[in-house]
Amino acid sequence: MPDLPGDSELVEAYLGGDEASAAELVRRHSAAVGRFLYSSGAPADDVDDLVQESLFRAFRALGGWRRTASFRSWLFTIAGNLLRDEFRRRKGRQVIPLDDRDYSDRTDPAGELAASEVEERVRQGIASLPRLQREVFLLRAQEGAGYEDIAAALGTTPGAARVHYHHAVKRLKELVR
Amino acid sequence: MTACERLSDRIPDVARGRERWTAEESAHLAACADCRAEWDLVTAAIRVGAGAPDPRDPSAMTDAVLWRLAEARRSRRSRRSWGLGIAAAAAVLGVIWAGRQSQENTRQPAQVEIALPELEPLETAELDSLLETMDAPQVGTSALDEPSLDDLDAHELEQVLGTLEG
Repeated sequence: MPDLPGDSELVEAYLGGDEASAAELVRRHSAAVGRFLYSSGAPADDVDDLVQESLFRAFRALGGWRRTASFRSWLFTIAGNLLRDEFRRRKGRQVIPLDDRDYSDRTDPAGELAASEVEERVRQGIASLPRLQREVFLLRAQEGAGYEDIAAALGTTPGAARVHYHHAVKRLKELVR
Repeated sequence: MTACERLSDRIPDVARGRERWTAEESAHLAACADCRAEWDLVTAAIRVGAGAPDPRDPSAMTDAVLWRLAEARRSRRSRRSWGLGIAAAAAVLGVIWAGRQSQENTRQPAQVEIALPELEPLETAELDSLLETMDAPQVGTSALDEPSLDDLDAHELEQVLGTLEG
């Protein structure tokens, strides 16, 4: 079985006119961008549109992707910028709805409700973090990205990324406790 | 690096199922409330991500993105051709304007001719006489018509007198 092309090869192929490469990039990363946006406080109903807008912006700016960061981490910075723009467009109104989860239709209502409440508090806590802390935390905790990659994507150093991560964890522990 | 820091570095990978705890790490996690809190937090964050709405079918998403990219390219080309058209028109206008300017610089001072058909029947002497009166306006008169109370009708006159009387 031949090796799958890396993101870098797919980007080059797309820039050379191969639209199938764009489809593969979308297939690989759209769900992760959706997770990032939703975890950052985007309303569930808006996630799909925001993913599409993030990918559109990314494909328009492919020349700006420096290969020092992974394509996914770079996509997350674009999605983060989009979310910030969206937040400003809504004039600072909280993007995250307080209760947009469906708590019904659970097999163990009490236990599931408690877990859902914790998740919702975590989600709101993540949304309330300073941007760098939020992005570092999500890249590290959800995507398992290394500090080198995170640092390259966010324009900082691996040491600073590590500090941001630990500040985020400390703050979230306080918020969720 | 402390045991807590080492564990903290490994929590995301273990929580995502990429790695497993060693026996020593498991023992530390069982005994350290702070590390357990971090573990709970990271696993909750992963569940939050998993709870994100399912993204649209990737091929539909790709179609939508590629369509928008094509639209953006078309729009950019259209704007560019408009810009070129406007620049060309501006250049043509510039050339015309510059040509006119140079023509006007070489031309004699402009002479304005106003046709006054009512003066045509006059003899030269009569015309000179008339022009003399126009050159030297009478003292105390103006070329403009001054309003006079005689021009007002009775109603207007009453209004003016009313304002004078307060």
